[in-house]
Amino acid sequence: MSPRRAASGGRIDRARTIRFTFDGQAYTGHAGDTLASALLANGVTLFGRSFKYHRPRGVLTAGIDEPNALVTILAGDVREPNIPATMVEIYDGLSAVSQNRFPSLGFDIGAVNQLGGKLISAGFYYKTFMGPVVGPLKGTRFWMFCEHFIRRAAGLGSAGHAADNARYGKMNAFCDVLVVGAGPAGLSAAKAAAAGGGRVVLADLDAQMGGSTQWSGETIDGKPAAEWAQALADELAATPNVRILPRTTVWGYYDNNTLAALERVADHKLTPARGEPRHRHWIIRAGSVVLATGAFERPLVFRGNDRPGVMLASAAERYANEFGVLPGENIAVFTNNDSAYRAAAALKQAGASVAAIVDIRPDVSVAARELAAQAGAELLLGYAVVGTEGGKGLSNIKVRRFDNAGTLSGEPRIIAADCLAMSGGWSPVVHLASQAGGKPVWDAERQAFLPPSPTQNWIGAGAFAGAADTETAIAEGRKAGEKAAGEKASRAKAVKVFAPALDPNPAPYREVRADGKAFVDFQHDVTAEDVRLARREGFLSVEHLKRYTTLGMATDQGKTSNVPGLAIMAEARGLSIPEVGTTRFRPPFSAVSLGALAGERYGELRPDRLTPMHDWHVEQGARMYAAGLWFRPQIYGHPGETVEQAYVREAKAVREGVGMVDVSTLGKIAVQGPDAAEFLDRVYTNMFSTLAVGKARYGLMLREDGIAYDDGTTWRLGEQEFLMTTTTANAGKVMQQLEYYLDIVWPELRVHLTSVTDQWAGAAIAGPKSRDVLAACVTGTKVDNEALPFMGIVHGEIDGVPVMICRLSFSGEMAYEVYCGAGYGLHVWEALMEAGEPFGIVPYGMEALGTLRIEKGHVTGTEIDGRTTARDLYLDWMLSKKKPFAGSALMDREGLLSPNRLKLAGVVSLDGRALNGGAHVVTGGSLDEPGEDIGHITAVCYSPALGKYIGLAMVRGGKERIGQRAYYCDPVRKRFGPVEIASHHFYDPEGSRMHG
Amino acid sequence: MVEPLSPLAPVWKPGSHGNFVDGVGVVLSETRPGSIVEAAAWHGAEKKLMAAIRKATGLSLPDGAGAGAYADGRGAFGIAPGRFLLADQAEGLAERLSAAVAADTGTVTDLSHGRTAIRVAGPKAEWLLSKFFAIDFALPAFPVGSGLATVHHDIFAQIQRTGENAFDLYVFRSFARSFWTMLGHGAEEAGYEVR
Repeated sequence: MSPRRAASGGRIDRARTIRFTFDGQAYTGHAGDTLASALLANGVTLFGRSFKYHRPRGVLTAGIDEPNALVTILAGDVREPNIPATMVEIYDGLSAVSQNRFPSLGFDIGAVNQLGGKLISAGFYYKTFMGPVVGPLKGTRFWMFCEHFIRRAAGLGSAGHAADNARYGKMNAFCDVLVVGAGPAGLSAAKAAAAGGGRVVLADLDAQMGGSTQWSGETIDGKPAAEWAQALADELAATPNVRILPRTTVWGYYDNNTLAALERVADHKLTPARGEPRHRHWIIRAGSVVLATGAFERPLVFRGNDRPGVMLASAAERYANEFGVLPGENIAVFTNNDSAYRAAAALKQAGASVAAIVDIRPDVSVAARELAAQAGAELLLGYAVVGTEGGKGLSNIKVRRFDNAGTLSGEPRIIAADCLAMSGGWSPVVHLASQAGGKPVWDAERQAFLPPSPTQNWIGAGAFAGAADTETAIAEGRKAGEKAAGEKASRAKAVKVFAPALDPNPAPYREVRADGKAFVDFQHDVTAEDVRLARREGFLSVEHLKRYTTLGMATDQGKTSNVPGLAIMAEARGLSIPEVGTTRFRPPFSAVSLGALAGERYGELRPDRLTPMHDWHVEQGARMYAAGLWFRPQIYGHPGETVEQAYVREAKAVREGVGMVDVSTLGKIAVQGPDAAEFLDRVYTNMFSTLAVGKARYGLMLREDGIAYDDGTTWRLGEQEFLMTTTTANAGKVMQQLEYYLDIVWPELRVHLTSVTDQWAGAAIAGPKSRDVLAACVTGTKVDNEALPFMGIVHGEIDGVPVMICRLSFSGEMAYEVYCGAGYGLHVWEALMEAGEPFGIVPYGMEALGTLRIEKGHVTGTEIDGRTTARDLYLDWMLSKKKPFAGSALMDREGLLSPNRLKLAGVVSLDGRALNGGAHVVTGGSLDEPGEDIGHITAVCYSPALGKYIGLAMVRGGKERIGQRAYYCDPVRKRFGPVEIASHHFYDPEGSRMHG
Repeated sequence: MVEPLSPLAPVWKPGSHGNFVDGVGVVLSETRPGSIVEAAAWHGAEKKLMAAIRKATGLSLPDGAGAGAYADGRGAFGIAPGRFLLADQAEGLAERLSAAVAADTGTVTDLSHGRTAIRVAGPKAEWLLSKFFAIDFALPAFPVGSGLATVHHDIFAQIQRTGENAFDLYVFRSFARSFWTMLGHGAEEAGYEVR
């Protein structure tokens, strides 16, 4: 039997023992335990070290609001830091370690920081480390010196370096009603909403549905509350239109009733089931939302309120009732309200003795007195705890008389206690309502911010809405569920709850002032004195207070510290709490794993886009590279070949014999309709309405500002039918632009566009022997110069497959593009390779394609780069003077006609070394002192036709510089050398080879 | 006649996969229609196009965005105003439809090779698709026969519900292998069968 486990009670499964480790030490617990409850049961009180002062800390809460007991969960080499021990369900093999301590939790060198406490109070960083980075070791320069040490000493857990191999998932959900929180109000709301038949989602951050019923000890409809909740949850689980999401924290409330939630699918298991994600990110689009998120208990602020053993009264009650764990043997209670009396009675019933109930109020309700009597506790009304004593655990508390004005009097009295259960009243969990829009409203009676009036379609219920007791919460929940589902109020009998008639209103929130550290924000070590210091230094607004002191920051986002901080500031300024300000909350409500947000895109970050011949390329040993989402062969390397050797061999084969390249990636758009030709005349710079059926033409598009946009050939397949091709990279953009023209600019044109990129497989077959290859395999049409002249189109068959062949050339050789249905692509490709075998056909990749086009001076995206005009690229001949076209109005702007513009030219390396794309072209000088910059190199290759390293460049003056000496200068790669400026038409400038 | 090659061939692994201890939640298959065709009407000629579709396929398309019909291995559904995607297990639909659609009604584009048709079926089909698309796949919101055009990150998808627990997805052929792999990955936790 564990030292602190009660002999009976709790909703744990005592028959099942779970083994786990904490800081390397083996412990046992029971199924249903959290890490916090299991460690408490084992007598562990020290859970961690505080952020700044490294003070020993225990567990403060029993839920998501935990600021102290943060642990790191280890899974192999993967570390998940900053997880509240109160939210970790234990499982066999769980391994957790404490944080922010060195060398160990028990003996922490950093604890020396406590001695220098005054030095590192709020504003320490601003005062010490801000200033110019000049002069002696102070200001920002001092920070640069100290940063490493400070980051080591201060902080939370550290992330690991091992890759997280867990899976994360994403899920879209739609429902009529989303109920957030499955306490008595939420369960009732879900049941009522489901009755109407609409789709209901019920999410709760705990593993068990039921919320406070798990530990309240109340009786609902004659049944213990937990049983009542379980029966209701079972009923809902069996209702087809209800989806229950346990372990799911709704953390964000966005516009249009879109909510984000994190489901911890497999955190309670050593290994997830096959395919199961660790976390799932839910995006829930809800017709209406019932917020039944309950309330957080608030700590009281007094000296030593952070000593291990001091915890919230509701947490102590929850450990006793839900987990059968006594947080102490001899427990004292300190409160400003009635709710802690119920905890006192529960702790007594679970087997602890209750030494005293210290209440700052002079008088309390009858029900509270009865509970105090049940607890067998001495009742000290009008008293306050002024200090705590003990080492790493609590041994005594000190109490003094305390009046309405907050004045202490009388001699301190010492009471022995190993646990102090405190309650400073309750704060409704208004975070989601605040995120949805609207400012929480201060309620002086409840001493709490209540939800704002809704600006989106949500309805509040239960403690969230300030309900005074469970019976009200259940009634409100039912009403909210009915309203959210658009149903009429039912006349069903109200549920009866048997519970003590406690006063829901606490005494006004007050700090107990005494020398020594009294903590407001436990996680960030912000004391009451820090809040006053902020005021003295002029940080009056809550937002400034937060940033100056870091109150309310970090993983708990001030769930326990918000109202205490405001109350201290209000008292210091002599104002009321709402006058000081209201905190607005933003998402997330609690920590969200980045993996869940990334979802299934992890590992499948981008889809691969594959041509019909992809597998063939890979089998032939092609080295593939990514071109946008597509994969294309770079080279088909032979063993021992370098990339350069391979592409030179391939390019040479095309110039001398025949080669074939996969061009299936080109964008292809079907342009159809009676106005198709007119449309093309408008979007291309040149004329297409004059193009004969069965012919193709090279076209150039400009942006509306006159800059070159994209190029490609467009084939006229019928009077009203064209097949437009675009560059691979711009296919999507061009399609969008054309759709924009038709939808917005020229809606009167009857033209339809359809992407047919994937419909067609394309192979470009090029070289002096290309016609021979076609002649050997094409049936149903002739392919000679008469039947298939330059830019002609014919239809035929290759090995039983219908094909469409267009004679056009990118390489400058006689060349054809053969198109067929994509499903036949591989078949036709292989037939062409077979037919080409006697002619020595080789497949070639993008490097050879690039080489051939550079030799020929054809432009691609590296020259049509969004900065160049048609004139810059010597494509003026394509600018029709007979018609306007997109871009024609702005293409002749003065700046675009300037003689100083960079224009297309060729460059030839004069030192026999390779050029670099992106290198500058300069007039002289050296690498370190280059001369005048006159342009840049856009594309480079070794030209087998010329036997030299050549490139294309954008050079000021363009053709005017032909024959001039210049230099390439690449400061990044440290390269510099001489080049000659040449015509960009390096090879066969007359075009006799492709026309022949 | 040469058989068109499926882009899924190298990743086609018939059988059960993932966590199927408690049965198979999802059945993935490729429907391989003989014809996939897109038809688009000129403004004002939508009804005429729907009549032509009925003539060519026998499918009566209801009015309204996303409305569609599915019967006997033939499906048609709206993918944009005045635009429809049609699929038929038989070949030659593009020709039949072209003959039925007059030039002043609209246009017909054959996409039989350009799209890959994947069927996601089974009790967890909605669950699986909900991982990928922000679409309400529940039967009342997305009844049998209806369809829509959407996108999963970079991948366009046109989806028709062809049964209470069955959806036919049409994706660009070049993306099909990637998309198929993602579907399988997403279906692992539900257990899936390829057939």
